[in-house]
Amino acid sequence: MCTTSIFKYLPGWTGVATWRWVANDDNCGICRMAFDGCCPDCKLPGDDCPLVWGQCSHCFHIHCIMKWLNSQQVQHLCPMCRQEWKFKE
Amino acid sequence: MEATLNVLSTGDLGISTSTDGVWDKVCLAYPLLTSNELPEECPDDDNVLKEINELKLNTFVEDIVICRIEQIMRQKITPEFWGRFSGRKTEIDGFERFKGAVDYLYSSLASFLSTVEKLEKLRFISRFNRVIYGEDTLLGAFKVIMTSTLLSQLPLTHQVITEDFYKVSFKVFCNTDKSEADQDESTEDVVQCGGCSHEIEHCRCQTILSVFHETNRKLIELDLLERLAGEVITSLIHIRIENHVQESCKGSFDTSYISSLESWLSTVVLGWLTHVYSGNAASTQSSIKKFHQKISHFLYETYTRTRIEQLFNIIIEYPDSQPAVEDLRICLQKTDLRLYLTQKLQRALETRLLHPGVNTPDVLTAYVAAIRALRQLDPTGVLLETVTQPVRQYLRWRDDTVRCVVSSLTEEGPSELADELVRGEALQLDEGTPLDEDMANWETWNPDPVDADPSKTSKSRRTSDIISMLVNVYGSKELFVNEYRTLLADRLLSQFSYNTEKEIRYLELLKLRFGESQLHYCEVMLKDVYDSKRINAHLHSDPNFNLDRQQFPSMAMILSAQFWPPFKEETLELPSFVKEHLQIYTKAFETLKGNRTLSWKPHLGSVNIDIELKDRKINLTVSPTHATIIWHFQTKNQWTVEELSQLMHVPATVLRRKIAFWQSQGMLREVSTDSFLLVEESATRSRCPVAPDMVCEDEETESAMASAHDQREEELQVFWSYIVGMLTNLDLMPLDRIHQMLKMFASQGPTAVECSLQELRHFLDRKVREHKLLFSGGFYRLPKS
Ligand SMILES: [Zn+2]
Ligand SMILES: [Zn+2]
Ligand SMILES: [Zn+2]
Repeated sequence: MCTTSIFKYLPGWTGVATWRWVANDDNCGICRMAFDGCCPDCKLPGDDCPLVWGQCSHCFHIHCIMKWLNSQQVQHLCPMCRQEWKFKE
Repeated sequence: MEATLNVLSTGDLGISTSTDGVWDKVCLAYPLLTSNELPEECPDDDNVLKEINELKLNTFVEDIVICRIEQIMRQKITPEFWGRFSGRKTEIDGFERFKGAVDYLYSSLASFLSTVEKLEKLRFISRFNRVIYGEDTLLGAFKVIMTSTLLSQLPLTHQVITEDFYKVSFKVFCNTDKSEADQDESTEDVVQCGGCSHEIEHCRCQTILSVFHETNRKLIELDLLERLAGEVITSLIHIRIENHVQESCKGSFDTSYISSLESWLSTVVLGWLTHVYSGNAASTQSSIKKFHQKISHFLYETYTRTRIEQLFNIIIEYPDSQPAVEDLRICLQKTDLRLYLTQKLQRALETRLLHPGVNTPDVLTAYVAAIRALRQLDPTGVLLETVTQPVRQYLRWRDDTVRCVVSSLTEEGPSELADELVRGEALQLDEGTPLDEDMANWETWNPDPVDADPSKTSKSRRTSDIISMLVNVYGSKELFVNEYRTLLADRLLSQFSYNTEKEIRYLELLKLRFGESQLHYCEVMLKDVYDSKRINAHLHSDPNFNLDRQQFPSMAMILSAQFWPPFKEETLELPSFVKEHLQIYTKAFETLKGNRTLSWKPHLGSVNIDIELKDRKINLTVSPTHATIIWHFQTKNQWTVEELSQLMHVPATVLRRKIAFWQSQGMLREVSTDSFLLVEESATRSRCPVAPDMVCEDEETESAMASAHDQREEELQVFWSYIVGMLTNLDLMPLDRIHQMLKMFASQGPTAVECSLQELRHFLDRKVREHKLLFSGGFYRLPKS
């Protein structure tokens, strides 16, 4: 039986982690870039190039879907499932 | 030379009785005709000459007298003269013998003078003249006879005593010259004269010099100096020059020697030569001038060769060796040794630098020094390009070259490359088509040296940028940038300092060199570190996240995986309470960022622990693996590697290395093979000697990243599936076609990979070696399965 307390006190633990989007795919269906990277117009991932989800549950880089929607004159459809695109609340 | 006269033989001349009286008179006038000794003075009486003229015997008499002179020369004087050249005992003996021989020759030849005069008189009386042996005076002809007879019997060993003679006198000469120059410094306890090697009291230097002087004078008078001694004098001077050059510039590169060598040549060597040619006659002056040109060229050549021999060391010591390089630059213009230099230096580089015993940073340092030194030596850059070609080729083969370059670029403290980086020039790369030379300066244009590679522009050679040269070793910026990225990742993940100011500064410098886009990934990496700091602060300051109420503060370095180099895949089962803490952190992050989560790399990180044993307290910062190992010893004080390996999901080899650290700290002790015990009291510890240097060195430098080589291999594998697809469809394809197709297909999409033609060829060649491809007639195809 060991009587010694080795970890008397642990002043700090710095871990290393990678962040990722919780999405059902790895790549953006529009630009084919990784979600965890950024869209072709951006330089910085994450906060600067976030993802958005549609009610159809498909998700894209926000910049990609906005570009797509702006290019659609009549109806706003999801480029993946062709349902009407509505942002998920 | 005896063609016209060889029917005659003296003493038995078939002359008719009516002229008997005349013959006696002729013999009286030219006593050498009947004597076997050296000729006596001819009598002053000229009547017999008139008689000879009246009898029209003048050419006949001249012929037989000359014939007789030749005979005496051939049979008596020449053998006697050369006879003195053999059987020499010592150098000084040789000196005496040479003097004796010349004295003998001079005096015996002098005895012919009155005979020659008498013949001239006969010519004068008979108003007759002709050319003998190409000479129109009899004295001239006599000299030709003498010289040719002497040389026709030249013994093989004649140079030995000639050399003795000049060596002895040269030594004396140099010594007197020296003692004149630094008389004050000459120490008193010197007993031996440096010149003649006699004791100072019995110094014979003066005698030797006057003998020398006298002998040379005689040789000059006889026109024999050049013929007899020219070669010896030249070789003596050459040896002297070689020795002098060797002695004066042995191993010291920080002084220029050209002017001191030149002045040495013109004072000492030319002084001696003037002595040899004794006198200031116009002919002497011109001989000396000719000699001066020859030996001065020899001096340059000798000095150049010496410097070329030392060039490797000169380069290593650059820039301290700048004066030596400058000397060599001047010398190269005066000599024809460029090719010799290239070959010599290349060989020196190969034997002293390009082998496994020299580590890469040293090769690089030498290469950088070579770049600098050779640029000074040859500003056109041609020499540099040719000579260092093997170095570049070699560096390309070394695995750690890029890493070494990058790390020394961003090294702390004085580093040549770091200084270069601060100079901040844009990168000059070989790639791209050669541009036209600057037309504005066409008037100052110079052609490239003949050994230049015509496929390159002289402008590209003239660039002085060392970093460009190093990057060009690979010809690819990408490789460098990737290596830098790995290095940066290692640094950030080993220091765990959120303070990135210094790294940002380097990054800015590198961006000036390599361009913004190349280093974009590194920018994101640094931003990750900065953001992590903010997130940590935010999560800890907000009580809603519960982080402050935990047992210990947990922090995180949150990375954007897409922008970091690939990590080595390692596993580690953390203590459960640590996992719980990290889980809480993840929850907090998810709450903060929404739709984003964290994947921990358990083996990476930094743990600060306080350890309290019975008799000591330690505070350490260690890796998670280290911390987990020692944590397990809290519940049980003895573990085997096998047990820990199963518990921690860490391979035994890795564990042993990590345990070694705790051994070095005196915390663990190996009680039997692979079984370790916690050392709870230092009393126990003292019984078991601690090896403080047991920390494995690679522990410090171990990289968390997959090596650049591994990464590249993985990337190239992406191509392989494309290539197989192409060849299945198209059957046969040449290299450049494959390259084009790959550029079209493979370089699109998220995993865009660039691949140069060169690299592709290497890759395909390897596949051929592995029998996965066939290559023939310039086409690749798949083997029939
Ligand atoms: Zn996108
Ligand atoms: Zn974007
Ligand atoms: Zn959809």
